[in-house]
Amino acid sequence: MPRIPYSLIRRAHRENPLLPLLLRECRTVDSARNELRWLYEAVREKPSPTKWSWLISMCRLRSRGFPLQYILGNQPFGELEILCHRGVLIPRPETESYTYKSAQILRQRNEGKSERKLRVLDLCTGTGCISLLLHTLLAPHFQRLSITGVDISPVALGLAQKNIQHNVQLGHLAPHASTDIQFHRADVLGSGSDSLTSIQSLLQSLDRCTSPPSASVQYDLLISNPPYISRAEFRNGTTARSVRLFEPELALVPPTVTETGTPEDIFYRRILSLALELETPLAVLECGDMAQAQRVVALYERLGSNSHSSAEIWPTSERDLAEYGFHETDGSRCVIIQRLLP
Amino acid sequence: MKRQVDVVYSLYFVAFTPRNGSIPSCDTVYSIPVHSTSGLVNRNMLGFRSICRSPRPRLWQLSPLRAVHTAPDSTVSPALLTRARLLAAEHSKLSDRLGESFDAKTAKRAGELAPIAHVLREWVTANESINELKSLLEDPGTDAELRSLAIEDLESSHGILPTISDRLKKSLIPRHPFANLPCLLEIRPGAGGDEAGLFASEMLRMYMAFCSRRGLRPTILKQDTEVGASDDRLTEAVLEIEADGAYDLLRTESGVHRVQRVPATETKGRTHTSAVSVMVLPSFSESSSETDNALNFEDPSSDYYLDPQEVRVEKMRAGGAGGQHVNKTESAIRLTHIPTNTVVSMQDERSQQANRRKAWQILRAKIAETRQEAREQELVQLRRGILGGVAKMGRGDKIRTYNFGQSRCTDHRTGITIHNLDGVMDGGDGLDTVMESVRIWMDNSEVEAMIAEDMAKQTNVK
Repeated sequence: MPRIPYSLIRRAHRENPLLPLLLRECRTVDSARNELRWLYEAVREKPSPTKWSWLISMCRLRSRGFPLQYILGNQPFGELEILCHRGVLIPRPETESYTYKSAQILRQRNEGKSERKLRVLDLCTGTGCISLLLHTLLAPHFQRLSITGVDISPVALGLAQKNIQHNVQLGHLAPHASTDIQFHRADVLGSGSDSLTSIQSLLQSLDRCTSPPSASVQYDLLISNPPYISRAEFRNGTTARSVRLFEPELALVPPTVTETGTPEDIFYRRILSLALELETPLAVLECGDMAQAQRVVALYERLGSNSHSSAEIWPTSERDLAEYGFHETDGSRCVIIQRLLP
Repeated sequence: MKRQVDVVYSLYFVAFTPRNGSIPSCDTVYSIPVHSTSGLVNRNMLGFRSICRSPRPRLWQLSPLRAVHTAPDSTVSPALLTRARLLAAEHSKLSDRLGESFDAKTAKRAGELAPIAHVLREWVTANESINELKSLLEDPGTDAELRSLAIEDLESSHGILPTISDRLKKSLIPRHPFANLPCLLEIRPGAGGDEAGLFASEMLRMYMAFCSRRGLRPTILKQDTEVGASDDRLTEAVLEIEADGAYDLLRTESGVHRVQRVPATETKGRTHTSAVSVMVLPSFSESSSETDNALNFEDPSSDYYLDPQEVRVEKMRAGGAGGQHVNKTESAIRLTHIPTNTVVSMQDERSQQANRRKAWQILRAKIAETRQEAREQELVQLRRGILGGVAKMGRGDKIRTYNFGQSRCTDHRTGITIHNLDGVMDGGDGLDTVMESVRIWMDNSEVEAMIAEDMAKQTNVK
């Protein structure tokens, strides 16, 4: 990381003595100024003397790289306000774009079928941000929704549940969201041998609960933002210090399992085979970069692509890249796999 | 030689100074020089110096155009009267139709016309009563007691007629298309460097205080400051005033505001002149779009429709790793309206959606204002052919001066000067007075233009 020139620190200090603290993490005065304003807005209502000590300690915390979202306790995601705390991954803007894109495709695919029930499976849900945003985007167009969020972390599941209530209270989510969205604990990688429920057994038990009981429930969308950072990239500086130190490794780096191929892609192998098994017509998977997305597409082609389905990497067109704020070559991408409509 | 010049000056002074406060008629203007050519009395009485300071601007009172808005005139030009009658007739027709079946559009138009019909009726009754009284006085059979009563009545009727005429003229002014809308107020420093930025932030405070005092809630949509020695230098600010009709209230403020003072940054005590430009834009909030068709920005047939295809949307993009690898806290968005090359960027909010929404709101406001301005400009061109120059203050013109050395605030459109500058800068009554005077000035120029236009139309017809 390039050094911040001393003149910049001095200038920032003249403007506000707290800015240099934020500059360490923000790197530019503009974004430091914005962060200072957001921090100030959070303490504005507090009585005067404690207000300033709060603000100063918040800035100190931030200067050590502690994520802003953990300090403020929330992160905007679409029209929602997602609560955040330590131990659960903070929602990213890219994920927001993928969620919007998924909702758009889902609406196109189900044009004129507003009375049928849409089912969504969200694996590695974390704060529940994808599930919740999909609900706000789909609820105006589909009367009946069933969204199932799955995560391995009990802390994340507790927060996801809290997020439903929080957003219903704020009026961002329809009240029936609390029954439409269900969060369950399961291990996406697990084989079911140990104490944790595997995803397969969870889905089977969910199938039994449906009325009338059917062999297997058809999901309309399988979406996931699984851990995808390789152990090397986690350590070599590609991953930001703030993320490495303060966000949960569980949500970032897949466990090393003795298996062939790249270890960071292990989640995709499991999720793709699950998608094939469930015969989901649409699957959206977030990937770390273009190379990983290409590996996922190749994996899909090996596992069971056919002439009735397509796998594409999004976004790639110049317009989409600019509109959603993606760099031409760098940064995250997602893979969209869909069964072609007849 | 010098003496001769003095005489000419004094003559000039006598000729154009109204006596007893009345405006001299053309006859007096011509007759006075004849009387005074030989006498040096004027020069001795007043002295040369006082003559030099003589209020030359009195000249304008002679201008027939300006006379319209100095004193309320009891006569309404036939052209305006015809227009008022036509509109009143339309109103009665519409109210008849409303009696049979209700229609929101008809009701709206009828509501707009109702005040015109009402004032016209008042004007007609006032004129009728004057005529009746006159005929009563002319009649030799009227007894003395009735006659004195009639004279009294006639006086009071003559007294109220000018105000009614004035109201009639004002009611004929077409309402500004954005009058009912909430507004955005954009403040940008112009020439003058740091000082302009400092004064811009003071103006932001002034308008916020003004709005709060009026019971309107101002929200800062955007506030960009410059890094530097002092934290108060604005580079751009956008204020949103969400109350309906805020546009009409604040549209007097559009233009270049000039400040003259010794800046805080000045070390040698010199007075600087800087400029700050203020733009008042209509705010099209999502909720109000359904009610009014003409202002619905989503309707392609509306004048203020913005084709999404013509807007380039760009989000801040950073190279390097993204997704889970990093944790960005801000999201900047930039919108470019390609045909006009209007650019709006927004990064003040944490939420991408909120930034996007605000950026669109500002872009829509800017485009609507430029389109409206273009239309007004066309109208001005049209009228200029008739009038030979109509005062139209665009956003490029200097409209007001805040002079701190003399503690005064002068509006250049009306010529009003307020000597309590602190009161103005606090958004107090002083600012109210200035804005009110500008509003009257705007109405009057509108009436003038309307009369001229109608008269021109009539001559064309003839």
